[in-house]
Amino acid sequence: MAAQTIQPGSISLPVPVAQPSLWQRISRNYVARRVLKAVLTIFAVVTVTFFIIRLMPGNPVEIFIQEQMALYNLSYQDAKNQAGALMSIDLDAPVPQQYADYMSHLLRGDLGESYRSRGTKVASIIRQFLPWTLFSVGTALLISFTVGVGLGMLMAYRRETIVDYALSTLASIVSSVPNYLIAIIVIVVFGTQWKVINYAAMRGSLSPGVHPGFTPKFIGDVLFHALLPISIYVLTTIGGWMLAMKSSTVATLEEDYVTVARARGLKDGRIMTSYIGRNASLPLFTQLAINIGFVVGGSVLIESIFVYQGIGQQLLKAITQRDYPVMQGIFLIITVSVVAANLLADLLYGRLDPRIRVGQAETK
Amino acid sequence: MTNAALVVDDLWVEYPARRGVVKAVRGVSFELRRGETLALIGESGSGKTTLGLTLVRLLPKVARIKHGRILFQSDGKTTDVLTLSAESLRQFRWRDCAMVFQGAQNALNPVLRIESQFLDTAKAHGLTDVAQIKERAIELMKMVQLDPARVLSSYPHELSGGMRQRVLIALGLLLKPQIIILDEPTTALDILTQRSIIDVLRKLKTQLDFSLIFISHDLSLAAELADRVATLYAGTIVEIGNVFDIFSHPSHPYTLALTRSVPTVMGEMHELASIPGSPPDLIDLPEGCAFHPRCPFSTRECQIEEPTLETVGQDQQAACWHWRDVKP
Amino acid sequence: MFSLAHSLRQTLKLLTRNKVGFAGLLGILFFLTMAFIMPLFVPIDARTHMDRIYAAPSAEHIFGTDFQGRDVFSQLVHGARDVIIIAVLTGAMSTTIAVVLGSLSALLGGWLDSAIMTVADFWLAIPTFPLLVVLASLVKLDNVILLALILSLLSWATLTRAIRSQVLSLRQRDYVEASRSLGMGTRHIIFNEILPNMMSYIAISLILAMTSAVYAQAGLAFLGLIPFSDNNSWGVTIQLAWTKGAVFFKNSFLYIMAPVLAIALFQLSLVSFTRSLEEVFNPRLRAG
Repeated sequence: MAAQTIQPGSISLPVPVAQPSLWQRISRNYVARRVLKAVLTIFAVVTVTFFIIRLMPGNPVEIFIQEQMALYNLSYQDAKNQAGALMSIDLDAPVPQQYADYMSHLLRGDLGESYRSRGTKVASIIRQFLPWTLFSVGTALLISFTVGVGLGMLMAYRRETIVDYALSTLASIVSSVPNYLIAIIVIVVFGTQWKVINYAAMRGSLSPGVHPGFTPKFIGDVLFHALLPISIYVLTTIGGWMLAMKSSTVATLEEDYVTVARARGLKDGRIMTSYIGRNASLPLFTQLAINIGFVVGGSVLIESIFVYQGIGQQLLKAITQRDYPVMQGIFLIITVSVVAANLLADLLYGRLDPRIRVGQAETK
Repeated sequence: MTNAALVVDDLWVEYPARRGVVKAVRGVSFELRRGETLALIGESGSGKTTLGLTLVRLLPKVARIKHGRILFQSDGKTTDVLTLSAESLRQFRWRDCAMVFQGAQNALNPVLRIESQFLDTAKAHGLTDVAQIKERAIELMKMVQLDPARVLSSYPHELSGGMRQRVLIALGLLLKPQIIILDEPTTALDILTQRSIIDVLRKLKTQLDFSLIFISHDLSLAAELADRVATLYAGTIVEIGNVFDIFSHPSHPYTLALTRSVPTVMGEMHELASIPGSPPDLIDLPEGCAFHPRCPFSTRECQIEEPTLETVGQDQQAACWHWRDVKP
Repeated sequence: MFSLAHSLRQTLKLLTRNKVGFAGLLGILFFLTMAFIMPLFVPIDARTHMDRIYAAPSAEHIFGTDFQGRDVFSQLVHGARDVIIIAVLTGAMSTTIAVVLGSLSALLGGWLDSAIMTVADFWLAIPTFPLLVVLASLVKLDNVILLALILSLLSWATLTRAIRSQVLSLRQRDYVEASRSLGMGTRHIIFNEILPNMMSYIAISLILAMTSAVYAQAGLAFLGLIPFSDNNSWGVTIQLAWTKGAVFFKNSFLYIMAPVLAIALFQLSLVSFTRSLEEVFNPRLRAG
């Protein structure tokens, strides 16, 4: 991400300016650009997934049709019609038509129906399970980022001391090992061997018998079950933030404005937060996008390990059952979530770094 | 001594490097008289920046102040800056002595507006009346010839280099310090901007009451702004005196060489001479006078013992065994 | 010939300089031995010994036995090969794609650059592991080369961007400008000025591509999406252990932990080794 510095001349001549077109206004405005890009990306993903899954060998739609024919002794055409009905498209129509149908249903929030659980709409599956994943992943990202940034700054201030070496080594090690393996290690070592955590009880997303509602009991139970997955997400991503923030802070400490801030007699606390902290954390936002995608992607594995009923688990279930509409719908939602989260991160970055807000009218 | 704002007494600063110890400041003593402008002129590597940083104790951690006192005199009280506690030092900085750095490219926090940085500075020194601070900021902007409304609401990257330098100068005046130190105020600026900065500084000197030290390699700048000039070589002051005397009859070969290397716009075309040789290695200084390898006047005496400052004129001192022979 | 031996010796000396890097190198060598040499000496234990389920480690079974009484150590030894081959293949393929596309993009610029970058941006928005999982259900992943191909196709975008920005920054360096003004052709510039200075970057990218390949394939295996092969790769072993509930028993500790630690240590070795690579190719980093 390039920060563009503007060096306006100090002489401003009155120049008649034509009203910029809508396109020009959009491309100059940081926010508009990013939003447009996000929308286009989602659109592209929808399209590509639609066509890829159709054209792949082992076409699950075909498999389903064959299955239905075998199971219910249907003719190929009947089976095909059924499949199409479940996806709300006419499989006999030409592919572009199918695509148009699909898109129109999509825009209305209709993602089709599950092949395996008849009568269950894909959208309702998503509505039921997505919040759990968003909650666990979101909380984890937040904790990981804030604590990681804090520790990173600590490491920079205390660099080349034991604290630094210890934390750096730990961070490197934990970041290199795959997150699902760390999960297994934690379960085996802390659960089975040392009996510190009760893995069996902490699995799943809710204890049996606990009903959703804004009761302390419910909230407490949710947190109890989300503790392990969130901890694993945090543990496996915090190392990256720590190391990145440390090197960014070390570089920022050398900057002139820090020395000048001291010369101005500013208090250490103020320098640490508004001068060093804010500037050092800016480069980290470019990493945020990658991180979000990675954690959300990893939810497929982590949720499986902890039997946490989130969208990752559901995707896995749909895949093993070859439940095509659910598969496609969930994959779509996962991608949309990632794109949306990245958009938020981008916008946040735009707010925090004034050098990025290019495109304000140059009347200087 | 009562009309001195700052007295530096026998200051020695060094810092360790891979090859050895860099003796950046060697026995520097001078006084800054109240209301005057003193120019510290030296090449890069002469220790001038280290000297400036030492005055506000902003040296990197590895640097060691081996010896000396920096006496700040105000309201009849004298304090040694080198003995100030951390908190007193923080308050001293900018309120009593403001050091404005060179290369104002990156001297301001990129994510805060100029006005916030003024407020930051004021609040750090106990001023709480926001309205009053804002008013004063506007006043200062006008003094350095900047448009207050526009500049105060801008971010540093939206201003040109010259504007940023002027903002820094204005910021330096915010707390009405008694001493201002400018480190290379015009380096890295184009010639037109340099001129405007110099004009601003001249005007400020007449309008406000402060003592100014400015550090530079540019002797002609001294001619424009300074009352007294000190030339620095290899970490020590080799000559110090009234600006007119320095230019009309320099008494140290280095000063002489410096004056000769500045072309005059009018007047006779005298021979432009650059100083042969290269600046000394501050880790491995030559025996005797540090300048002797490059000095046309040097003799055996110069290679044995390093000269100290002696009075050579009414308000002029030079550190040279052969000062009498030095003629423009 | 002599100069080759000499530079080999030099390289060796440099590789041993960085302690962490050297440890990583040793680790890699160890696992390579385990994957390709040890299988010649360690037999596959395919029979079931019901009397020896989850036996404790002994001289005969260094890491004990699994849920069917089979030797864990031999499973570990034979499971290394697939993991390493896939990692190397994927790393090589994705790095090659990235270097070619990235350099072309950076050097030729214009619409080609914008096109490649737009596609890369879009590709980056897709979460790779879910996509991988979806693809695994559509395509039968029993072929090592196929798996490597798919893995590298999924990860080209990040690497390409990184290579491209590296080439862009090198392109603007003085010595490239100097070459250009001396009239050296593009081919010369690419091969003599830019690539040599990027070797460490490329080598490190290769290693990192390998680590993500290991992550992906072990992850897929763990989820049961890779059909069994004779040499159960580490990931498959973990999956078996998991589904048989090895996490719950004290005695099965080694059965599940051995492959887990094997992968973990292999990843660590790879990452540590990158430190040495940084020093080998970047003389400025070598402490004077």
